[in-house]
Amino acid sequence: MRKTVILLLGFLCAVLFYFTFASADKVFRSDWEIPRTSTQAQAKQYRLVLITQELETPFWNKVGSGARGQAEKDGASLEVWGSYDKNQEDFLKKIEIAIDSKVDGIIVQGLDTEEFKSLTKIKAAFYGIPIITVANDVPMADSLRRTYVGSDQFLAGRMIANQLLTDMGREGTVILLADSRREYYQQQRLNGIQDVLKNYPNVRTEYSETPDTREDVVATTQNLMNRMPDVDAFIAVNANNAEAMIQEIGRRSRVEPYDIYSFDDSHETLELLKQGKLDGMIEQSPETMGRISVSLMIEWLSGKTVPLDTEGYLTDIRMLKATDAT
Amino acid sequence: MSSIQRKIWTLAAVVLFIMVAIWTTLTYYNQKTQTQYNDILQRYLRMNEVTNASQQTITALNNYLQSPSQANLDLLDRSKQQIRKARVEVLVLRNSDNDFALTNYMNLIDSLVETTDRSLMFQSEKETEDSAKAFSEATRISKYISDMTLTLLDTELKTYDRFYRGIIEQSSELNKLGVWMLLLITLLLLLFTYWFSLSITRPVLKLTQAAKELSRGRFDLQIEVASNDEISFLAKMFDRMRININNLISEIQQKAQLENELQQNKLLLQESQLRSLQSQINPHFLFNTLDTLSKKAYLEGSEETSDLLASVAGLLRYSLKRLDRSVTLYDEVKVLKQYMEIQKARFTDRLEFHANIDETCLYVQIPGLTLQPIVENAVIHAVEPEEDGGAIWFSIRDGDDRVTIEIEDDGPGMTELKIKQILEEHVVETEGHSTGIGFSNVVRRLRLFYGREDVIEIESGSGRGTKVILKIPKTRGNEKYDKAPDRG
Repeated sequence: MRKTVILLLGFLCAVLFYFTFASADKVFRSDWEIPRTSTQAQAKQYRLVLITQELETPFWNKVGSGARGQAEKDGASLEVWGSYDKNQEDFLKKIEIAIDSKVDGIIVQGLDTEEFKSLTKIKAAFYGIPIITVANDVPMADSLRRTYVGSDQFLAGRMIANQLLTDMGREGTVILLADSRREYYQQQRLNGIQDVLKNYPNVRTEYSETPDTREDVVATTQNLMNRMPDVDAFIAVNANNAEAMIQEIGRRSRVEPYDIYSFDDSHETLELLKQGKLDGMIEQSPETMGRISVSLMIEWLSGKTVPLDTEGYLTDIRMLKATDAT
Repeated sequence: MSSIQRKIWTLAAVVLFIMVAIWTTLTYYNQKTQTQYNDILQRYLRMNEVTNASQQTITALNNYLQSPSQANLDLLDRSKQQIRKARVEVLVLRNSDNDFALTNYMNLIDSLVETTDRSLMFQSEKETEDSAKAFSEATRISKYISDMTLTLLDTELKTYDRFYRGIIEQSSELNKLGVWMLLLITLLLLLFTYWFSLSITRPVLKLTQAAKELSRGRFDLQIEVASNDEISFLAKMFDRMRININNLISEIQQKAQLENELQQNKLLLQESQLRSLQSQINPHFLFNTLDTLSKKAYLEGSEETSDLLASVAGLLRYSLKRLDRSVTLYDEVKVLKQYMEIQKARFTDRLEFHANIDETCLYVQIPGLTLQPIVENAVIHAVEPEEDGGAIWFSIRDGDDRVTIEIEDDGPGMTELKIKQILEEHVVETEGHSTGIGFSNVVRRLRLFYGREDVIEIESGSGRGTKVILKIPKTRGNEKYDKAPDRG
């Protein structure tokens, strides 16, 4: 009896000891310390910012990941800032913050507006911050950019035009839908297309501009198709307009007979291509753009390559056809 | 320091130690937690401080641009100083997650200061338009700073999310720890107190029980207390006391026994002296008269009567003086013969007396008047009531260390009860008449004289006579008897 009691008490003691010490261990041995890093080591890195108007689109995600990878490799710190859905006000604000924050370099999606140009040309230059445009270019004279990294938009236009000729033949009517902001890179594309098509007088081109809200795109498309019922092909110079345009075409008739072309810098176009609604699309190399832009920026900052090639560093483009994609 | 006191001190010290340990730990822990909380709060406050300072700067700048007075300029300078201070303080908030943002943040502050300065410069150069432009830029930067503060706070929350959750978990764990600790300490203290109190009360309890036994009169139980304090000392002393008392009691008992014996001896003596005194009424007159009668009988030619009277006188003289001192067996036998002559004269042919005496052992010491009362007893019981009379055999035989005296008769015998009464020295109601000294008196005196119990045996049964056997040691075991004064 006595032995049982002693055993029981001993057991109880052991259990209580165990729980008390386990609890005490948890209370006193947790990682209390606030993580701190030495300020010196971090401060020396180049601080770069990649700013885009279209965050969270597949194209710009790729640019971002390419840039990040390169930044990590070169020991620079890089942040991707930007606005969603081409919110220009927010985008410009981000650029201004970047300039005011005195980052070492800004890699930016070019925006062919006065505000953008004034920011890059005056304010960034005032603070001596180098700017590299990526994917979409703004002429150096307007933006004082160090260089451009991205596709040759003129060439892209030519490739589309050539593809169009192959698919449609040397006769027909083509609607070129661009947006009304007349951004430099779209002009380049248009130039490329026109450059090819001007040699084929039988191909009639109808150039039209539209504001980039969805309603306007739909209205413009409607209007164009009313005017030219015999249209054979469409080229959406601004990829963001392709989806609305195709939807409007689809409402009036079947989409398939038309040859429709666009570019890949919008999140809908790849999907449209897979559905077969888009006949062809220029595919660019966003990751390469990110990588090269960062690497060039660091080279310029460290003085390895001064000056950079003002004409730009062009990345690969290729024609992606609906038949390949599916 | 005495032992029980030390035990109590130990208990108090243990409790105190536990309390101090817990207090110290909790205080330390509390201190640490407070520091952590302060650090965290400090971080947020510092960031907020920057926002406030930047807004203040803008307000001050605005005021100054509106009305460029020295007071406003001072105010502006002060707020600029404040924002620089805030910038330095923000520097320590850097960690790997907010490194980039924090650098931007600090540069933004720099930009704000620069733009403010620029605005002031333009103002002093009267270029109002440029100044206003710089001011609007400063305002924008201030707004960016506010935004950045929010971003930083957001990052802060994300970075320290796990940390904050850890704090919450820890505080709940602390509560649990408190409960466990309370249980553990309660149990331990209970056990310790139980053990401790037992170590004091158990010896006391044992001692109490021992005392109870002693008070009941049991002095033979040993008192044992296994402890190392005063109680054990007390128990040892108590045990010694018990042993002493035990010894004293047995001593007293011995003394009481001795005294008892002495008392009985005295009583016997007094009894016999009383009787002798009663029968001493002018004995010389009686002796002389008997002698005269004996001579007269002799002169008148009655020789037998003369001898008888002489025997009576001798017997009477002997019995008056020999009661309280030892005599030799020889004297006893002589008296016995005289007595038998008297009885023979009385009973004539009815009494047969056969004596078989070993003369060599008549030197043995024996209390006076021991044989005569026994023989008298035999005559009274075996011869007197019988019409045909009876026979008495008397023999003295030598043994190794004892002399055996046998007195046998052929009377009706004695009952077992009577024998027992006699041997246990009860006073027996005497039947008929005797010279006065009872059988039990003889037994008693014999036993006292030799200091042993087995000097007398009685063999009897109804109808087959009585045989009294005395076994007299040749050397006496008890000399005290002799020392009694001679009252002869």
